[in-house]
This record gives sequence, C-alpha cells and structure tokens, in this order.
Amino acid sequence: MENFDSLMHGFSIAISVPHIALMIGGVLLGILVGVLPGLGAPNGVSLLLPLTFGMAPVSAIILLSSIYWGALFGGSVTSILFNIPGEPSSVATTFDGYPMARDGRATEALATAFGSAAFGALVGVVLITCLASWIAGVALQFGPAEYFAVYFLAFSSFIGVGGAPPMKTVVSLAIGFAIAAIGMDTVSGSVRLTMGVDELVKGINFVVAVMGLFGIGELLIAVEEELHAKPVSSTIDWRTLFRTIAGLPKHWVALLRSAAIGCWMGITPGGPTAASFMSYGIAKRVSPRRANFGKGEAEGIVSPETADHAAGTSALLPMLSLGIPGSATAAVMMGGLMIWGLNPGPALFVEQKDFVWGLIASMYLGNIVAVILVLLTVPIFAALMRLPFFILAPLIFNVCVVGAYSVSNSYLDVMLMMGFGVLGYLFKKLDYPLAPLVLAIVIGDKAEDAFRQSMLMSQGSLGIFVNNGLVTTLVTAGFALLLLPPLFRSIGLWRNARR
Amino acid sequence: MLSRRTLEAATAILTGAFGVAVVVSSLNNGIDWSESGVESGTFPFITGTIVVVASLYNLVRGWLRGKGIVATRQGLQRTAALFLPAVLFVALIPLIGIYVGAVLYLFGSLRLQSHLSTVRSALIAVVASVALYVVFERLFQVSLPHGWLGAVLDL
Amino acid sequence: MSFTVKFTATLVAGVAVFAIAPQAGAWTPTKPIEFIGTAGPGGGTDNFTRAVQAAIVKNKLVDQPIVVVNKPGGSGAEGFTYTKALTGDPYHLVFGTSNAWSQPLVSKVAFNYTDFTPVAAMVQDEFLLWVKQDAPYKNVQEYLAAMKAKGSSAKMAGAQSKDTDETLTRLIGKAAGIKFIYVPFKSGAEAAVQLAGGHVDSHVNNPSESVGQWKGGTQRPICVFNTKRLPDTGKVTATRGWQDIPTCQEQGLNIPLFQQPRTIWLPLKVTDEQTAFYVDLMKKVQQTPEWKDFIEKSVQTNTFLSGDAFTKYEMQDLEQWKKVATEEGWLVK
Repeated sequence: MENFDSLMHGFSIAISVPHIALMIGGVLLGILVGVLPGLGAPNGVSLLLPLTFGMAPVSAIILLSSIYWGALFGGSVTSILFNIPGEPSSVATTFDGYPMARDGRATEALATAFGSAAFGALVGVVLITCLASWIAGVALQFGPAEYFAVYFLAFSSFIGVGGAPPMKTVVSLAIGFAIAAIGMDTVSGSVRLTMGVDELVKGINFVVAVMGLFGIGELLIAVEEELHAKPVSSTIDWRTLFRTIAGLPKHWVALLRSAAIGCWMGITPGGPTAASFMSYGIAKRVSPRRANFGKGEAEGIVSPETADHAAGTSALLPMLSLGIPGSATAAVMMGGLMIWGLNPGPALFVEQKDFVWGLIASMYLGNIVAVILVLLTVPIFAALMRLPFFILAPLIFNVCVVGAYSVSNSYLDVMLMMGFGVLGYLFKKLDYPLAPLVLAIVIGDKAEDAFRQSMLMSQGSLGIFVNNGLVTTLVTAGFALLLLPPLFRSIGLWRNARR
Repeated sequence: MLSRRTLEAATAILTGAFGVAVVVSSLNNGIDWSESGVESGTFPFITGTIVVVASLYNLVRGWLRGKGIVATRQGLQRTAALFLPAVLFVALIPLIGIYVGAVLYLFGSLRLQSHLSTVRSALIAVVASVALYVVFERLFQVSLPHGWLGAVLDL
Repeated sequence: MSFTVKFTATLVAGVAVFAIAPQAGAWTPTKPIEFIGTAGPGGGTDNFTRAVQAAIVKNKLVDQPIVVVNKPGGSGAEGFTYTKALTGDPYHLVFGTSNAWSQPLVSKVAFNYTDFTPVAAMVQDEFLLWVKQDAPYKNVQEYLAAMKAKGSSAKMAGAQSKDTDETLTRLIGKAAGIKFIYVPFKSGAEAAVQLAGGHVDSHVNNPSESVGQWKGGTQRPICVFNTKRLPDTGKVTATRGWQDIPTCQEQGLNIPLFQQPRTIWLPLKVTDEQTAFYVDLMKKVQQTPEWKDFIEKSVQTNTFLSGDAFTKYEMQDLEQWKKVATEEGWLVK
C-alpha cells in the first residue's frame, strides 16, 4: 500500500492550522462565487492567483481547490431555489431540485443535493488515491474517435427519456447543435454562423443561454400561470436537514450507480456535465418511481449531483498527470502550477510527492469542510424562498442581467440572455424539451470536433469507430441505449395489440 | 387571450426561420469534403436542415391539432408587466449604466407593480444595487458598465 | 526680512514644482489595469500574461491592482475584438502572439493588427519536433523516412488550425516531401496527450507545453527549429537537457529558424506618454528575477522589441505569413 502511506504523509502536510484556515476561507469564497450566476470558480481562482505567488505551492493549491469545492456546492443552490444553473454541470439538478423547492421543501432539496454531492466527491477522491497511475493510463487510450464515442454515449443515454413530442425534441436538439457551432471552428479555423455580428466569433456562452432558458423563462411562466412557490415554514428547520441527510443511505443504489458513472466520465474526457446528464437519464430509465421524475423526486437530485461531483473530482487527475485540465477552473489552477514552478505531467507524481499527496489529502478534508459549511448555510438560502414572489422576481431579473454581463463583460450577452428567456418561455409553454437543447449546446461542438478529427485521421472512413475494442464497445453501448427502449416499446405495443 | 394554435404556429415559424438562417450561413463555409476533412459548414447545414424540416412538421401539426387556450389575457398582462420593464432596463444600460438602471428598475417594479411603500421600494433598490457594486466592482474587480452617464460623470 | 523669507520660500517652492514637473507630465495609472489574455488558462499566452502579472505584483512595479482576464473565444479573436472597441482606454492591455497579424489573413475576424497600439514583443517561443518515447526512430532522418513510408497517413497533431503549428507542419512537409495529415486540437497540451496515447505520430509543441510529458517519459523531442541549440539549463530527464537536442538543420531538415513572438498591445488612440509608461514597465519586468525564472523554466528566448523595431519585425513576419497562406490557399476570401 504505497499509495496509502503517501496519503498519510499527505494528511500530515494538509492538517495544520493555517491550511485548515485557508480551506475555510477558500470554501466560503467559493460558495459566494458559486451562488452568483455569471461569476464562477474560475473568477475566484483567477482573482486569488496573484495572492498565491508568495505561498508554498501546497498551501496555494489547497486554497484554490477549496474555492473549487465551495463553488461546486454553491452552484447547486441557485439551480434548486431559482432554476438558474450557475455551472453547466448543475443543469440536471434543476429538473427535480427546483420542483421540490417550489413545493415548499427547499431545505430537503438542498440537503439532498449537498449530501449526495459530498458522497460523489469522496468516491472520486478514493478512486484517485487507489488507482492514480492506472487512471492516467486509461485516459491515454482516448483519441478523437473514442472522445466522439463517449459524447455519443452521453447523448443516447439522455435523449428520449423525456416523453416530449419527438419532433419537438428533434428541433430542440438541432437548435442546440447549431448554437454550439456559432463562432470560431477549431478544426478549420473559420468563423461560422455569426450572421454579421462580429462579436459572436467568441461563440455563445453556455451560462448566458441557461440563465435565459431556465431562469428568465421560468420566471415568465411562473408569473403568467401564478405558480408561486409554496411558503417555506418560518422556523429554521434543522430537524428536516438532519433527517434528510440521515435518510440518504436509502438511495444507495442510485448513489453508487451515479458515483460510478461520474468517475467513469471524469476519467474519460466526458466531464462533469455529460456525467450529470447521463446519470439523470439512466436513473430515470431504471427507477421504479420514474413517473415522479421531474416533479421533485429525491433520486432525481441524488443522481446528477453525485455524478457531477464524482466527475469533477476525478477530472483533477488528468490535469495533474497529463496536463489536460478537465474544467475551466482546473485550467486556471494549472496556470498557477506553472507559475509556482511545477510542470503538470506524469513526472509530477514522482518529483513533487509532497505537493501531489498534500493536494489529494486536502481533497478529503476540503470536501468535508465544504459540506459542513454549506449545510450550515442551508437555512439562510432556504429563507430566501420566504420572500414574496413579487419582490423576488425583479431581484432575480437584476442578478441575471448582471450575471450575463459579467460572463465576458459583454452587453451582447445580456441581450442574448433576454432572447433565450423568450425562447425558454415559448418552449416550456408548448412542451418543447429544454434539456436536449442545453446538452447539445454544452457538448455539441466538442462532439463535432471529435468526429471531424476522427474523419481527418481515418481519411473519411467510418471504420475508425469500430477500430478497436474500446471504441467499438462505447459505440455499441450508445446505439443500444438509443435504440432498445423504442424497440421494446413497439414490441410491447405489438403484443398488446395481438392480445 | 392566446390560442394554442397561434402560439404553436408562431414558435414553429421562429425555429424554422432560425433553421433557414443557419442553412444559408453554413453554405458560405462550404458543405463538402476538402483537403482538411469535412468542411466547416457541413454540420451546421445538416442541423439547419433538420430544424427546417421538423419545424414545418410542427407548424402543420400545431395548426391542425392545436386546440384551446395557452394563456389568458390576465396571465399575459402579468408576464408583460414583469418582462417589459426588464427589457427597458436592459435597453437603457448603455445610457445610464447598470447600477443606476438597476436602482430605477427595482424601485419602479417594486413600487408600481408590487405596491410596496415608497420607502421600502427605495431601500431594497438601493441596497441591492450597492451590494452588487461591492461584490462585483470591489471584491471581484469585474467592471460592470457605467454607461454614457458614467462617462459624463467620469466614474 | 520677512519679505526675503517669503520670497525665498516661494522660490524654493517654485523650483521644487519645476523639478517635479517632467514627472508630473509622465502618465501613471490611477485605476486597476486589466490584462487580456487571448488564450485559455494554462496555454502559452496565458502563462506569459500571468508571468508579467506576477513580476509586476511581486516587485510592486505598479501601485494599481492588475487583473488577468482570459478571452480565448475564436482562437483569441474574442480578446482582440474586445480590446479594439476600447479605443483610448489605457487600462486594458491585450496579450497575444503573432496571431494579431496572422489570424486576420486566414479567417474572417473583425480586427487587424492596425487596430492596436503596439507596446512590445517580449519573448520568442521555440518549436521542437516531438515523437512518442518508444518510437523506433532515433534521429530526424529516420523519422522522416518512416513518415515517408507511411504514404499519406503520417499524422501531425497541433493546436488550432492555420496557425503556427499547421504552418510549421506544412513547411516540414514541403522540405521533406511528406504529405502530413494535420489534426488540429484546442491546445498544445491536448496534442501532447494525443501523442502520448499513440493516436498521432508527432507534434511541434513549444517546450513548456510538453516538458512535463518529456520528464514523465511519454514523449521526447528530436530536434529544435532554431539556428543554434537551446541554452544549457541543466538536465530535464535523467540523462538529457534542452542543450542536448540537435537543431533540425544539423539533422538535415532544412528549416533554420521558426519561432513565435509573444506580443502586448494597447487600444488605439492612447497617448504617447501612456504607451511609453507601459514600454518602460515591460522593460522593468524583464529585469526582475521572476521574469528570468519564467524564461528559464519555459525555455523561451528573451527579446525586447518596441517602437519601430517591433513594427519592422512585424512587417517581415507578416510577409512570411502571406507567402505561406497564399501557397496553401488559406487566404480569407
């Protein structure tokens, strides 16, 4: 157990008064940036980076990774309370978290989310601890064809679980792909679909799109249909909080399955967003309570949150061992590594043992600190739901406007967000599903890049997708998830008809 | 009062128009196989075409099958009362900046629509905007637009 | 008496004011300064931007805070387009490479180098030819022979399309008579991982993009695109350092010098004093120990071009770009 010894050594570095203080400070700042839409962990990390130039690398990475944990948790808060996902990976949490909160069970929704998130993160760290070297090897197996297959798998596990009219799902998905294609194209270097708006060369930011589609769209629907949230009980409800946390283990199947999906997607290049969607999609397919999904079902929160955090945590490993950051925040941290004089790469584990294992140990501690702090904030956030809707609505609007602007200091983004708000309203009103649109915006261009890179490498032959065991398995699994449910359904219909 | 039929048709036309724009725009990028692989317009062209075809289907189906009312007159009025002031707020940002705009927007909405007292409305509006200023401008050094007014006052 | 004292006092005060005057005329920033990096976090341009920031902050060269903002959209076009609109604003500097003048040649972007006030070109980043650690070829000639034998399936990975990496790939192809498949990825780091996994045959990363992989034994450089070998900075792996890597030219691949400048620009219509302030600031940055450390760690060549020298360099480089882009048919229509 060489890893175990290293980990214990890591703990001896991470556990010190200044380090714990850094963790608490980092987590609190992270929660703040996570809660405010538009600001995110990259902002917090980027802001504090200059302060860390004078620190020891271990202290610096502990501070920065604590911001990351705080922001991951904080991002779920707005998803659940206001249907505004602050990060791409917390979109799937809105599907059941928001209905549950609107139903007067905000405390329960938040506690479920945080509890399962912490579980996911811990599984991710344990995985890193035990299998660090093996994982790095697995990640290397992924070329463009395998990348594409992973994205395909994520799409097929999620598409078709909504029960929306098929042609409306198709429109939603295709528009999402088109939006993802706007801007500079990596493979050809040419500018696409900007329709004469020069600024669109940067593409349409995901956060801008979801703030409009989900946040603004939901506000408009709520005010029109008078779907005001049920008032939350006015006492601070610690008992509900503890009961919810204590009751989480009964979802053990969902927890374990989602953690497995999350770790898998974090190690492979799928990432946290694809992981949370896939986990939600699969939970909805296999759960006996699937009819309740979308109406405030606890497993609908457990599944995406666990997978999101498991993936977010295990994605830090490719960053350290290969130098490919799995997320924007990981990328800023990687920039920091270079400035502190460390080169990410396989050698880091050999040359900088103190740093790597100090960081891994701090992942355990940081997550525990984060979940405790964030649970303490639950009553404060739940109290927000006590504000009457007619006061909350203009405030949410205001925060969305500021958030959309701050994503990249762009007024165009604010106007786009308003446009997406109208689209979100129309789609919701007419039963067009929003989730495929969002999924396509997030991973559509990556999937396209991967496909075209594969085509370049194979000189146009589709054979590259059945070239080796790994890619063949992924593609087959994708088709199975896509085609089997409608097949079973039609067989079932046919049988029923014969009876 | 808004019938489902009208709204279905309007939405399908909107998505269809977007599809047409995507198709036309992607033709400029080329939709063939070239030296450097699949040309960059190919995928947008395919997705645009799918959007157009599916929108036509939705248009016809929505027109034939759409029945009943999707939104009442009162409902639409409430939505407009929330959305139009917000649109005005966004439109005025280049002129008066985000902070002054936010104070006016919040005060107006709370006072006129939510019927809060003048003092309360003003208090919420100012506190919320100052909080935004502190968090964004001071804490995270994200400069929000000050508008033409800000330039004149040299903030 | 009292008159004399008063007069003297006035005189002294006057002299004092006069003595300070030239400095009072020089411009100093009174607000936070924003550095706009035209690449994503962790990339070469981002590291450059943050190294300048670190040198300034650690040595307190400026009283005002410095904020780094990444605007990587559109292969950096986002950052340039954003800065272009800030005419007359001396609190925004944009950091890039030769993409300021090369990108407008090959894509329809809404800026050109003429939309900015040049401040300085500070470093020249090197390019090396990298192969997988366990690849059979020991030197460039063996590599080139193996690639030739592959016919038209020799794969080169790189960052971005129609940028430095692809240009260099085409130059190698032409010099050695090989038809490479160039596979563009988002960053050099991604290209390095693809090589480590054996999905491509080679790439032409900068030293800093692949040094971690070299140390870790997944890939190794076989030659450097410079007229002379890189400076001696000690061993990188157990047995070899940058100085041990032969130049491509001495290995018979005739591409003498291929480098990438890192550049800093202000928006148009800033005053000469403001430009002078930043030129001076960057000169000071270059004297700091942090900067020397950065140059050494990232294995780049320290240079400093500003004013006419910068413009002259830029024009020469632009001519080169035009030549390659015309030959390859990349020029934007």
